[in-house]
Amino acid sequence: MIFSTLEHILTHISFSIVSIVITIHLITFLVDEIIKLYDSSEKGMIMTFFCITGLLVTRWIYSGHFPLSNLYESLIFLSWSFSLIHIVPYFKKNQNFLSAIIGPSAIFTQGFATSGLLTEIHESAILVPALQSEWLIMHVSMMILGYAALLCGSLLSVALLVIANRKLFFTSNHLLNLNGSFFFGEIEYMNERRNVLQNTSFFSPKNYYRSQFIQQLDYCSYRVISLGFIFLTIGILSGAVWANEAWGSYWSWDPKETWAFITWIVFAIYLHIRTNIKWKGINSAIVASIGFLIIWICYFGVNLLGIGLHSYGSFTLTSN
Amino acid sequence: MKAFSAINSTNPCLPKTHFLKVPIFHPFFKFNPFSHSYNTHAHAANRAHKLPLTISCKLKSSQDVKNKGKSVSQKIVLSETSPPPLTEDDSTNSDSGDVPQSSMKKKGGPFEVLIVFRRKTLQILSSLPLAIADMFVAAALMALGTLIEQGEAPDFYIQKYSEDNPVFGFFTWRWILALGFDHMFSSPVFLGVLALLGASLMACTYTTQLPIIKVSRRWSFLHSAEAIRKQEFSESLPRASIQDVGTILMGAGYEVFLKGPSLYAFKGLAGRLAPVGVHIALLLVMAGGTVSAAGSFRGSVTVPQGLNFVVGDVLAPSGFLSSPTEAFNTEIHVNRFYMDYFESGEVSQFHTDLSLRNMDGKEVMRKTISVNDPLRYGGITIYQTDWSISALQILKDNEGPYNLAMAPLQINGDKKLYGTFLPVGDINSPDVKGISMLARDLQSIVLYDKEGKFVGVRRPNSNLPINIDGSEIVIVDAIGSSGLDLKTDPGVPVVYAGFGALMITTCISYLSHSQIWALQDGTTVFVGGKTNRAKIEFPEEMNRLLDKVPEIVESTLSKQADSISG
Repeated sequence: MIFSTLEHILTHISFSIVSIVITIHLITFLVDEIIKLYDSSEKGMIMTFFCITGLLVTRWIYSGHFPLSNLYESLIFLSWSFSLIHIVPYFKKNQNFLSAIIGPSAIFTQGFATSGLLTEIHESAILVPALQSEWLIMHVSMMILGYAALLCGSLLSVALLVIANRKLFFTSNHLLNLNGSFFFGEIEYMNERRNVLQNTSFFSPKNYYRSQFIQQLDYCSYRVISLGFIFLTIGILSGAVWANEAWGSYWSWDPKETWAFITWIVFAIYLHIRTNIKWKGINSAIVASIGFLIIWICYFGVNLLGIGLHSYGSFTLTSN
Repeated sequence: MKAFSAINSTNPCLPKTHFLKVPIFHPFFKFNPFSHSYNTHAHAANRAHKLPLTISCKLKSSQDVKNKGKSVSQKIVLSETSPPPLTEDDSTNSDSGDVPQSSMKKKGGPFEVLIVFRRKTLQILSSLPLAIADMFVAAALMALGTLIEQGEAPDFYIQKYSEDNPVFGFFTWRWILALGFDHMFSSPVFLGVLALLGASLMACTYTTQLPIIKVSRRWSFLHSAEAIRKQEFSESLPRASIQDVGTILMGAGYEVFLKGPSLYAFKGLAGRLAPVGVHIALLLVMAGGTVSAAGSFRGSVTVPQGLNFVVGDVLAPSGFLSSPTEAFNTEIHVNRFYMDYFESGEVSQFHTDLSLRNMDGKEVMRKTISVNDPLRYGGITIYQTDWSISALQILKDNEGPYNLAMAPLQINGDKKLYGTFLPVGDINSPDVKGISMLARDLQSIVLYDKEGKFVGVRRPNSNLPINIDGSEIVIVDAIGSSGLDLKTDPGVPVVYAGFGALMITTCISYLSHSQIWALQDGTTVFVGGKTNRAKIEFPEEMNRLLDKVPEIVESTLSKQADSISG
């Protein structure tokens, strides 16, 4: 009982902190860049990270197994991964891009996980025999870390596409433009400010900043996607080794497996497209955006169907 | 330029080269006999050798040293890049690209056509657009394979994808059956795409990736400030010394090479070479997968507790290379099957105690297996995959025990239910009635009377009698049967090797290969560099490092100038 209360408290705290962080981002974007406020949003993300960590640990203690046995837990783990990526110091340099991507992503996953849609599976279920293995931790955590990083990276690519085609969007659809620049305009704005400080070049500043900004987005998304690709590779391979222990075959073309492989192939295509200089930028961003959709099919779509050997992750949408 | 030549001839870097550490890739040194000879010494005893070496250098004229250096390096380059002439020519004809070309041309004939053909195919196969298109097709086919139900009877497809209502206006069962999409992952189309992918992987590794190793092992100094300025990152440091730049770069983990006024430094070379490893690992996985598909046996069996079976009877070959082994004669006896339960009563794990006996009936192995803990013997792996309840042992009015066979009952959901029936009264009458017994697991049996009313629950082994319709029933035991999967798979070691290599090389591939060139021009140092992956971090890192380079004040500068000229 005490555990579930604690869990509730932690869920709500982390959720509200993420909402506050997003509000702060909006304020700094719309009103003015207040350094103190911006710092507090940083601290907010760190708080969120610790809250979700606490949430996962609580669940681990009272269920007795690693909390990754159903969709709810994996969603919580996904938003934990988002906040982890956010606070990893390595990415601090790209903070501006990533915090704009991660905040909303974390709030969406957590919002979805805690919403009424999935009430049935909140309780931590018992672990079916096939899941009782040390491989569970390795396989699932790697997969979800991979998903998180790939989602971030491909969202950056989506942002790149939106910004690169901004004029197009603007003329054709004002609304789309608003949506697109909602989060990304903020970072572009901040980046421009930084560039003004750093750079004193004289030729057509606006276009120059834009192209430089697009290039930075491109590099940043490439790095994040490469990192996610590593996690995805390790996740798929450890899953294959596990399957060879539990199901008797390292590859059985199960739907989830197949879609994970499709995701892997799509991002492999992304990495290969980048080796050609002519195709860098827009083309690779398009592939990454396709990858974004594929990840969601892999993560949710297959579970929604509830077929195959991974069916314990399945769920049914209940509307109440 | 005057400054260069002055510096070049007297080689001022020599007294300072104890900065250099020995790089991992020794072949580098062969291009530069100077630093090679010196470095090894310097590594062994840092400062002790300073004096003798400077003396030895002074003995030779600068021109001599230069020429000698050149000729030696060229010789070594030759032996590195192309095979020794003539003697090995014949033996390398079949697998080396350029050397046979010239010798074959003289002969002419069909070989030339073959070689041109081979070259064309290699060129086509290793082209990036083809590989990318192929990957897209493979991904699309796999997606299709999960959307179309697999392994159903033809009638199913004829009904579901009828010609009256084609998907997207053209996709009907004829497509599915003609292209073999009802068994997508073994259909010729899909396997062909995979084979093409494998072929282009091989071609790409051979024509593009392997040369990368050669190219990246070549390292060069840039001798003009222009070339350095053209790099992605470039900076000029007035009043700085190139030695300081070298020290700082070395402190940041770079391999640094100094030669005269030029500096070359690199970091993360493994990151450039690792993709080659990724491709080779993928080929290994594909090869292992092919071996698995062609040479494995599989089979599954449900064995009630206490019975036995012979391995060879269960296993069926899956490919043309499958050949049975000695171990196929092993007889397997299921000593015991039992289950663990959670406190809530749900099944947590199931175990089977197996004894393996050879032809002579001698027990060669005994192990209790469970899900996630298979048994391995002589290339055969036995997995615990399933369970069921085979029979109930009961006493009726203290007679028996009788064995009642249990049958699985179809219910909604994935929970198992087994049932059996004990007739009461006249068995030959048309509407025979009796006692029904249902069980979800081996823990408890639910009993219903002949009207279908619930009577009670009994645990096996409890010996607690229950009275139903006038007869006293004791449930002695519930006998489970173990669902076992057996397989032999010669491809697994190869695939695992590929997996291991793939994991490691993908991780290494994240490293960014950074190269830095620097040139001392008078008192100014030009620094330029590029990296292949971490494009954002690299300029920042460089700026951070170059900030550390000390500015040389006039007095020390003149001192350095003295040491250069002297």
